[in-house]
Amino acid sequence: MSEETAKENYFLVGLTAAVLFTAMAAVFLYAPTEKTEGVIQRIMYFHIPSAWLSFFAFFVVFLSSILFLWKKEREWDIYAHASAEIGVVFCSLVLITGPIWARPIWGAWWVWDSRLTSTLILWLIYVAYLMLRGQTEPGSMRARYAAVLGIVGFLDIPLIHFSVLWWRAFHPQPKIITAEGFGKGLDSSMMTTLLISLAAFTLLYFVLMGQRVRQEKLRDEIDRLKKEQLDSH
Amino acid sequence: MDNLGFLFAANAFVWGGVIFYLVTLKRRNHALERDVQLLKNVMDKESDK
Repeated sequence: MSEETAKENYFLVGLTAAVLFTAMAAVFLYAPTEKTEGVIQRIMYFHIPSAWLSFFAFFVVFLSSILFLWKKEREWDIYAHASAEIGVVFCSLVLITGPIWARPIWGAWWVWDSRLTSTLILWLIYVAYLMLRGQTEPGSMRARYAAVLGIVGFLDIPLIHFSVLWWRAFHPQPKIITAEGFGKGLDSSMMTTLLISLAAFTLLYFVLMGQRVRQEKLRDEIDRLKKEQLDSH
Repeated sequence: MDNLGFLFAANAFVWGGVIFYLVTLKRRNHALERDVQLLKNVMDKESDK
């Protein structure tokens, strides 16, 4: 890693830590307590950003997969693989924090509501994506199969977004992008806190992505060195 | 204030999960960097012979 890249990385990590700290402070010190749900509603400030991060990560998988199929460059396959893993981690956090929030409010850990079910399907699709990558031999065929699954899997995300509008659901309606306009579904201080939290999680995505992409590149370097070594004998 | 336990559990999962994942990534990267260095050293020694 060059000195300049290392400096950029330190800057990004520092900025992410600062924004995460600000988000934590806003969640517990600035945001008001919601009248009907009470303190438990503060889970929203981690639940929605985790969902946003996972959707964004799967969008990167979708885009990188298209670019890989088009250009056949390993770089895009690396981005897709790295982003899928991050997406699965945060989608898991959505599926954990959701039931913790639901239990005291709905009286049940899980209901087979359209949004919950479609989110679980999304998680299963990308777990299958990672399993496909883990179980098949490295090479262009694996990358091609994974790219197709990465593209098809993303089609579930619009379904998740519109599910609460199309079908009767337990899950609350969208709070940020509503029919009345941007951010009209929330009190302004709650909205500010949520936006800080969303910014913090977005920055966190780039920190994790940097680490995960580096890992794939190191693996490629090892494969190249091993091949070179074998060729020299 | 009845649901503080649930709020604490959700926070613990999120931050525990993020920290665990970050530490795992760092460890994996260190192990891979060590392997790259090891292979480079072996190849350098072989080319010196």
